[in-house]
Amino acid sequence: MVDFDPQLVADGLVYSSIIVLGSIGLSLVYDIADFPNFAHGDLMAVGAFGALAVHGSLGFPFPVAVVTGMVIGAVVAVLTNRVVFEPMDAGPLELLIASIGVALIYRAALMQRFGTESQSYDVGGQAPIDAAQETLGIAINVRAVAIIAVTLVLVGALHAMLQYTSLGRQMRATSANPSLARVSGIRTDRVVTAMWVIGGALAAAGGVFLGLHTLIRPRMGFDILLVLFAAVILGGIGSVYGAMAGGLVIGMVHELTPAIPVVPTRYNTAIAFVIMILILLVQPSGIAGGKTSA
Amino acid sequence: MTDGQSFLQSPIGATRGWWDDLETEERNTIVGLAVFGGLLLAATAVGILNPTYLLYLLTLAGMFTLMTLGLNVQWGYTGLVNFSVIAFWGIGAYSAAMVTAERSPLGWELHPVWGVVVAVVASALLATLIAVPTLRLRADYLAIATLGFAEIVRMVINNERAYTNGSAGIPGIPSVAEWVESPDLVSFLTIALLVAVVYLVLRRAQLSPWGRVQRTIRADEDLAQALGKNTFRFKLQSFVLGSVIMALAGVAYVHLITPLITPTGLEPIRTFYVWIGIILGGSGSNRGAVVGGLTIVAIRQAPSFIRNQLLNVPAIAPYVSEINVGALRLFLVGVLVILIVRYRSSGLLPPKREHIWSKTLEDRS
Amino acid sequence: MNESELDYEGGDLQKEDPLLRVEDLRKTFGGVVAADDATFAVERGSITGLIGPNGAGKSTLFNLISGFYEPDGGAVYLGDEEITGMRPDQIAQKGLIRTFQTPRKLEGMTVRESLLVAPAGQRGESLLPLWTSPSSVTAQEDELLDRAEDLLSFFEIDHLATEPSPELSGGQLKLVELARAMMTDPDVLLLDEPVAGVNPVLEEKLAEHIRRLNEEQGVTVLLIEHDMEFIMDLADPIVVLDQGRVLVEGTPEAVRTDDRVVDAYLGGVAE
Repeated sequence: MVDFDPQLVADGLVYSSIIVLGSIGLSLVYDIADFPNFAHGDLMAVGAFGALAVHGSLGFPFPVAVVTGMVIGAVVAVLTNRVVFEPMDAGPLELLIASIGVALIYRAALMQRFGTESQSYDVGGQAPIDAAQETLGIAINVRAVAIIAVTLVLVGALHAMLQYTSLGRQMRATSANPSLARVSGIRTDRVVTAMWVIGGALAAAGGVFLGLHTLIRPRMGFDILLVLFAAVILGGIGSVYGAMAGGLVIGMVHELTPAIPVVPTRYNTAIAFVIMILILLVQPSGIAGGKTSA
Repeated sequence: MTDGQSFLQSPIGATRGWWDDLETEERNTIVGLAVFGGLLLAATAVGILNPTYLLYLLTLAGMFTLMTLGLNVQWGYTGLVNFSVIAFWGIGAYSAAMVTAERSPLGWELHPVWGVVVAVVASALLATLIAVPTLRLRADYLAIATLGFAEIVRMVINNERAYTNGSAGIPGIPSVAEWVESPDLVSFLTIALLVAVVYLVLRRAQLSPWGRVQRTIRADEDLAQALGKNTFRFKLQSFVLGSVIMALAGVAYVHLITPLITPTGLEPIRTFYVWIGIILGGSGSNRGAVVGGLTIVAIRQAPSFIRNQLLNVPAIAPYVSEINVGALRLFLVGVLVILIVRYRSSGLLPPKREHIWSKTLEDRS
Repeated sequence: MNESELDYEGGDLQKEDPLLRVEDLRKTFGGVVAADDATFAVERGSITGLIGPNGAGKSTLFNLISGFYEPDGGAVYLGDEEITGMRPDQIAQKGLIRTFQTPRKLEGMTVRESLLVAPAGQRGESLLPLWTSPSSVTAQEDELLDRAEDLLSFFEIDHLATEPSPELSGGQLKLVELARAMMTDPDVLLLDEPVAGVNPVLEEKLAEHIRRLNEEQGVTVLLIEHDMEFIMDLADPIVVLDQGRVLVEGTPEAVRTDDRVVDAYLGGVAE
């Protein structure tokens, strides 16, 4: 039997938060634009470095830097779509290959501007919280708590937006049936832009948190990309709630590997990939059954 | 046959006849290669380029050509998306290193021939293992699945220190430099011979009924099935054949180019380089794959070469020194990829008449 | 067999020598019944027509017979052999060859070469013989090349032999498809709308070609076609399909005057 270890669960929640934020945008794009965006991981890195510049170089407070990073992520995502993807009118495979080109350009820009060394945010909050140590017996720092809390707020806001605003309803309608949405008067171009804004902003937030949790490197996003794909495919492509669930599961699996017998800890990422490949083989529509919700 | 006639005429006439028969793309590529080759020779002559270095680059190009030729079988002939090119290269390189190197954790120190045998067997087995379940997947899923597979291979190599030496890699692989006087030339000639053999084998396969079935599968798999072809069998053969050639490129790398292999050699970016080579060269064309192999090396080397030359110009040197070569390279490759897709380029040498059996082109009145 | 489905004028209920038999074939897609216990037989040496309003399940039936769909129930027999559940390529190798409604273009092949692909089980389709016995591979290719030549002249398209396959017009593509199917020397040809989008002159020619294949080479034909004139002229008997079921089977005259057929088509229009 495996012992329940609250420490692993806490670590899992932090990592899951980052994966959830990254996979929502990936899933949205995969659904509506119909291609796997290989630049999405590097978009996370763009957000992380954007926040680093605003906080570190310009000296703004960290929360301002996070929001600015999200704005940068959204703007870059929308611009990329306008300049590169939209004019292409090509099949999924061609767009996939083009998105690899986009990923390389993002990373090249980051390397040129910030260098290739690992960096970190100078915000403190790395010491374990005593209260958590005493009551729950887990080592968790302010950074981790903040990551989980802000992710919950962002995911909650997205949920409210999808359910209770007209834009949200239009997004869900477009996802369910694009041609029907168009004939019923929904301006799909507006919906598509909204989708890139949301995906880009959440990816940037995820990138900042990844940088906060580990280190900021130009390659950080690409290294996490396949884990995001694992989450998206597990949750069912095109389902925002599926991406959330998939992100949670994959993030947990990633951190809970030590509790799994036989499998060595260092293969935690490999397990995510194996799950992904198995889902692709068994049920490509994902465990959530595909596009039931936006 | 028109060839016989033209031979009766003057040599110049024969040459002109041959030139007139070429397609525009073929002429452009020949001119381009001639100019490029001329520039390289000129650069070597005036001492900008060291002859040893030129040979090294050509050997490297030969290795990349093996990889583009392998991918051309999978993607160009059959239309299979494989994003684990570098994993099969790595399997080849590590197979050779593990069984032959003095400092391999296995300590077997076998003859390099065994390295080749192990590389072929291992890559064929792994290719079958990944292909059997995934070949029926959609192209984009296949891309993600094979990339996942490649990352798993990299992780295993990184972690199984008892066999692979982990991140330190395996040094001391028996190298061509230990056996001959002028290793650079011998390396180049060996890889050129290998490329030539593989090229001829693949060309024979492409022009055969086997190749025709693969082309039919790429265009319309349902039609191939309706004509009684077991398309799964053909796709599996294509995937395994291509993967084995990639593994051979890995073997060639450790024995002929660098007698050290580490997991960083298995970075996924290299898979994308090979893809760029194949798309730029012309998917489906073996000649295009060769041009693609040369292009990869040019793209990889050009930024640092140009930067070094510009550094000699005092006026702009301070700005040039700010340029991160790695970043510039990624940037150029990224822009290139987007442009290729945007303008639907069919590559420098798209396979027009090349893969059509010449007998089906004759007028048989 | 249900007798009421076969009560056409002077018809013999039992087929003398059925080459292809479809029995209670059933297929549903997410609750929609596309084939509803369809039962009929194709007489050896006949040209049998399969008609029905849009959505009657004609193409589904073709896909079920040729192995592209797996049926939920029922069976298909080719001669005495049950072929239900076999892969499309296995069925093709038994001598049942189908064409497609909208053939895709074969990139990178001349017309002549696209014909060479057709026969299954060629020596050169395995890799080893390419080097171990190259002459036997080439000899077989040469034989097939002659066969392709004969077929190209049979269909009067010799002039297209070296034409790149993707550059053909719709009508030419249909002719090439027929020629390619004939390369395999089939027993049964399933033709999915062989004259869709073809001009009247060529249509007439195609009808003549199909008739000659049937009479001279003894090929049994089952064909789907929307063009009523064409199919009534060419096929006998005709099987009428409606909502996945066989509604009527009979001579063109019998089918033409059958009230149920008229109702089915009118119903289809009224929808």
